[in-house]
Amino acid sequence: MQVEVSRRKFLQGSVALSIVGGSSIGVTNLLAGHEEHASHGIAESIITKTSTGKAENVPFLCGICVNKCAGFARVEEGVVTKLNPNPYFPKSRNMLCARGNAGIQTMYDPDRLKYPLIRIGERGDGKYKRVTWEEAYEAILNGTDKFKGLAQILDEEKDNRATIGYCNGEGLSKEGFEVLVGEKIGTPNYVDEISICLETTLGGYVNTIGTYGEADLNNADYLISAGANRAEAIITPDTMDMFKRTRGRGLKTVVLDPRFTNTAAKADKWLAINPGTDLAFVLALTYVVMNEELYNKDFVSKFDDFIDYKKHILSNNYTPEWAEKITNVSAKDIYTIAREFMAARSPIYYQGRRSVFSKNDFQLRRAMAIFQALSGNLDKKGGIVYGQKLALPKEEINAPLYGQVEPRFDGKDIAIPAGKTGSWIQFRNMVLEGTAPYPVRVMMMRKHNPMSGVPNTKKTEAFLKKMDLNVMIDILPSDTTMFADVILPEASYLERTSPVASYGGLEPALVMRKQAAKPLFETKEPEVIYKELAEKLSKPLWEITKKYDEDVQDDTKGMSEKEIEEYYEENGFNLADVWEKPVYEANKEMIEKAFGKEAWETLDEKGVWYPNMEQYHKQLNPNEFQYYPESKKNYTTKKDDLKVTFNFKNLAKKGVDPMPTWKDEYNFNVPKGQFRLVTGRHAQFTQSGTTNNLMLRDLIPTNYLWVNRRVAQEKGIEFGDMVEVKSSIGAVQIKAYPTEKIAPNQIFMLHGFGGSSEGMEFAHGNGANDALIIEDKIEPVYGAAVMHETNVEIRKV
Amino acid sequence: MKIGPLNIPLKEDFSLKSILGFEKTPVNMLVAVSVLAMLAMLVIGVATYLMHGHHAYNVTREHPWGLLIAVYIFFVVSSTGFCIVGSLGDVFGFKDYTMISKRAIFGSIVTIMAGFTVIAFEIGHPVTMMIYNVLSPGLTSAIWWMGTLYGLYLTFMIIEFYFLLNNDMKKAKVFGLTGLLVGLAAHSNLGSVFGFLNARTISQGVFYPTYFILTAFITGIFLSFIIMGFRYKLNFDEKTKKLLEGLAKIQGLLISILIFFVTWKLLTDMYGGMPNRAEVAGHILGSGSFWTEVILAMVLPLLIILKDFGKSPVLFFWASLSGMVGIFFMRYNLVHDTQLKPLQMMKTREYQLPPEWVHYFPSATEIMISLGGLGLCILLYYIGTRAFNLDEEEGH
Amino acid sequence: MARYGMALDYKNCINCKACEVACKEENGVLLGADKHRIWVGQNEVKGEWPLIDIASAAFLPSQCQHCDEAPCQMVCPTNATYYDENHVVRVDSEKCILCSYCMNACPYDARYVDSRTMTVDKCTFCSDTRLARGETTTACQNTCPTKVRTFGDLDDPNSEISELLRTREHFSLKANLGTKPKLYYLT
Repeated sequence: MQVEVSRRKFLQGSVALSIVGGSSIGVTNLLAGHEEHASHGIAESIITKTSTGKAENVPFLCGICVNKCAGFARVEEGVVTKLNPNPYFPKSRNMLCARGNAGIQTMYDPDRLKYPLIRIGERGDGKYKRVTWEEAYEAILNGTDKFKGLAQILDEEKDNRATIGYCNGEGLSKEGFEVLVGEKIGTPNYVDEISICLETTLGGYVNTIGTYGEADLNNADYLISAGANRAEAIITPDTMDMFKRTRGRGLKTVVLDPRFTNTAAKADKWLAINPGTDLAFVLALTYVVMNEELYNKDFVSKFDDFIDYKKHILSNNYTPEWAEKITNVSAKDIYTIAREFMAARSPIYYQGRRSVFSKNDFQLRRAMAIFQALSGNLDKKGGIVYGQKLALPKEEINAPLYGQVEPRFDGKDIAIPAGKTGSWIQFRNMVLEGTAPYPVRVMMMRKHNPMSGVPNTKKTEAFLKKMDLNVMIDILPSDTTMFADVILPEASYLERTSPVASYGGLEPALVMRKQAAKPLFETKEPEVIYKELAEKLSKPLWEITKKYDEDVQDDTKGMSEKEIEEYYEENGFNLADVWEKPVYEANKEMIEKAFGKEAWETLDEKGVWYPNMEQYHKQLNPNEFQYYPESKKNYTTKKDDLKVTFNFKNLAKKGVDPMPTWKDEYNFNVPKGQFRLVTGRHAQFTQSGTTNNLMLRDLIPTNYLWVNRRVAQEKGIEFGDMVEVKSSIGAVQIKAYPTEKIAPNQIFMLHGFGGSSEGMEFAHGNGANDALIIEDKIEPVYGAAVMHETNVEIRKV
Repeated sequence: MKIGPLNIPLKEDFSLKSILGFEKTPVNMLVAVSVLAMLAMLVIGVATYLMHGHHAYNVTREHPWGLLIAVYIFFVVSSTGFCIVGSLGDVFGFKDYTMISKRAIFGSIVTIMAGFTVIAFEIGHPVTMMIYNVLSPGLTSAIWWMGTLYGLYLTFMIIEFYFLLNNDMKKAKVFGLTGLLVGLAAHSNLGSVFGFLNARTISQGVFYPTYFILTAFITGIFLSFIIMGFRYKLNFDEKTKKLLEGLAKIQGLLISILIFFVTWKLLTDMYGGMPNRAEVAGHILGSGSFWTEVILAMVLPLLIILKDFGKSPVLFFWASLSGMVGIFFMRYNLVHDTQLKPLQMMKTREYQLPPEWVHYFPSATEIMISLGGLGLCILLYYIGTRAFNLDEEEGH
Repeated sequence: MARYGMALDYKNCINCKACEVACKEENGVLLGADKHRIWVGQNEVKGEWPLIDIASAAFLPSQCQHCDEAPCQMVCPTNATYYDENHVVRVDSEKCILCSYCMNACPYDARYVDSRTMTVDKCTFCSDTRLARGETTTACQNTCPTKVRTFGDLDDPNSEISELLRTREHFSLKANLGTKPKLYYLT
């Protein structure tokens, strides 16, 4: 990124680097060591060492992944020197993972966006000019000679707010952005990570048992974990609870995964199932259970449509022998697992939580939820529980009504299109192909990197280039940020106080993160950006509304200036009225009102609060804590309200199977000589968000291609050799890692690498971007992106 | 030359002229140019080290001892060898060997100083060492004993040499004996640096402390042939021939013992396939470096000695040169073999090959400093030959 | 005073590397794959797909074992390596001459060279950071997601670590070398 300020200036800027007292924070120039030992030439980084001097411990919530683990940031002389676990939050169980600890390197990343930038070159070439915040907001509103402004675009589109698309990344300030662009600015065209992640899992479970649920892994005694790699895709508290009890210590664990993951390494049994054929496995398990009547008769008798499902399974002959051919799991294993599962006291078929494997994913998750229901192990100790949540008062948003706004269009050919979040792939492709009913000309983006996250990067690039205006709020110059016209730098999660969040389940709690250090350089907290941007846009956009919106014109006919002003305020056209109070004050007011002063004080000091925390929270041993006593955990909350939907009749109207059914097109087929590409996680990285983090790069310097050792030998490929992986839409080059942990007809690469942004020095060009080769297929129920249906060819280069 | 009460007899014509005024034969010129080149390398190597520290070397976490340690051992083994050969005459009174005493003792001083020079650039903090070796000595540390004893040994050698120069045989004998004993103790402590490594089963045990003394003697004899060869320009008189023949016969016996020891060491290492020992021994046997050592330092010299029982000193002079190269490989192999097998055999990262053998090759800086040490050694010896009368004095 | 050791319930370990990062952050260890005080070891799995030997995939966290009879302490010429009052093996970087003898003598590959001081460094049980502040857990113990590690005073019969060692079977690494390591792997 060609910007004037050098790296050194960053480090000499707001970060206090001089060694004063006992604190020793230093920038070290590390020379490359002996190459055998993989000391790649890391140039510079911030390393921290804690001292015994004075320090503040500020409660924070980690923002690197979805878990929001609670911690205490040790702050010495205004510099964050260590991130420690917070023992009060039940969900995170007093730990911080590798990424949580490495948050310091994210905060002090030399490549961080430091001040607002506007594009002076062409999209993607990295030429930006440093500007003030006012200039940046002005550029968004009125454009420059390089790009059009929002005002002009809306004027040309006659106030059709839907010409603005927006995308957003998961986080505690996500809702604020949704409110700003979705509710206030008024566009329906929103895409977020849901349609490239776990949409079908959520949909499958919610529509079958009424909730996604929490697996009570502390008390279960039999676990099937299919495609859920909890050792490497850490989810709290599941990861914390699960691995203490596998392998003969109380939780018999069967892992199904095409790849021998670290979770498989902790299992009692690993079955190398063919990708995308889990549905056949579950149907066969169900067949055994139905055939031998092993299901919990009392439980299933409560539901009328159970009998439909039983007939459906038996009449379709989903026998283990049938499933064996499709899944590569032996019939013997299927019989054993089905019988063991139903005989266990507290069995769990783990829900899983990841991007969609295959087109049948929704049906798969329904089948899994139903199978769980057959055991009756729902809403009780040791099963999948519904839990409770501490309700936070819902903030009243005065959302204006725009008469000219058109509806979403990306629900075409999708059975149950998600009204709020749509389908990323469908949305992008329709805009690109010109089949959208009206032009989408603006993308307002925050904390989202579709260039890496959405399959078919080339199309994403073309899509971004097609826009007339791209705005990005981010902390690092990601691949997507480099296609923005205006870049607004945000303060990282350690530099801001966020709205209070409530996490439910067995042991619900409220959590809040507090600002550990002032925003570095000229970055601002997201809520401040929302407010300022809203203030800048409010009146000018109101003028455009008045010009084209017939409803508004009718309402304000004959009104005086003063009355129009009142109308403007009352009807929510003042975009900034949501953020009148700073987040901290707003939190305080809300919590004191809803839960009391003491609750606020505890939340403020410890970052966590739940009712009776003082009484309930005890230290059991040097590592573990009791959060709620046994009798107070929310094992059973639904009781008779529990409903299981076996036969989802309404789906049939939309052309989707009402009960999970196998189709031949779901079979796992890989043409000879080709490989099925599967994706996944390692515990040290979160998608593409951490590839520039030097501490984590130390652990995994680049991504490698898992290829079966025998196949590699045949092709003359050795460890570290460059290999080209080619699919129908693109090709990437990546180093090879021959291993027996993957099948001869499959390959794997870690997601998130191959950065194209030159602004991120360490991520740039490092490894391969799998989104360049994953074909952009979608599944039929929600339009979620299907990740495991791409066949590729590999060859040594 | 007088320094206080000390009287150091120098040659009358000792001056810069005498140093530069050697016969400009092709061989001499070659040696002179090589020495200058090596000194230049020393300067460059040391400068690089002062700028970059240990990063200029290829030593790693798993292989912390590199070429410089091997070269240090090479020099001190040469020094101890010289001391032993030198003691044959003036300590133990073997008349045939007294003619080489002065030269050998001077050689022992010069080589150990070269050794100390080289190690000064290997030890990270030589000043700290000098302070804390005294203030907080680690009495269970073989390196402490080795360092301290070598310091004492050097002192005794210098004193003995002083007395030899002044022809005071009685006092020379006293310091010679003490120096020899201290030297043997120091050298076997150096062997025990490896011998005490309980974790490294290929080196652990009684072998290295004893083998070092044996190879010191062998080295001393090789070096004696070399220095006598240069002194007499391969044109030996009767007395010298007798000396050399005697040394050659001793050498024959010693090399035979050495071959015997090494063979049994490798056999017992490999027998039964003990982990961490057998496969390392196997790896050693498969390495070219090992066979170079065997052929150059053991087989070739032995064959030449056996040819006509040590009666061809000229031939053996050449064999000694090859022998010294072989000895160098012996020292390098010893250091490298100890560290061959990683002590931690698991991968620490997913994407790496599992550790197998530890790889090491000296960096340019290490090679330069090593050659520089050699050049320094030769230069000091040469200046010594010009400054002192190293031949046997007529009459006692 | 105390005699510190650590018990590791290593079967819980999922090789997430949280401990490695926490150690580096807390103690200011330089980046670089060979500059680690602690690590989690893994082997290449045995067997051919799909019949993989699950037990061969076990993860083994390791670090300086703070041996009661530490070879590194015995071989140090300047006593730079010493036992502090809690019987934690420490390195006084003022006295270290970088002779590297300890690096070769350590059976556990626990030591490395700190490029800033050019002296030998290794796990210190967070003695100069956390313990010096009065905390009772090490950085690696505190952060572990699956609670593998328990650090404590072996001489205190009421400590958690003493209780664990009394009630559970355990082994130590390379016990046959007589180093008396104070890291105990619970089975």
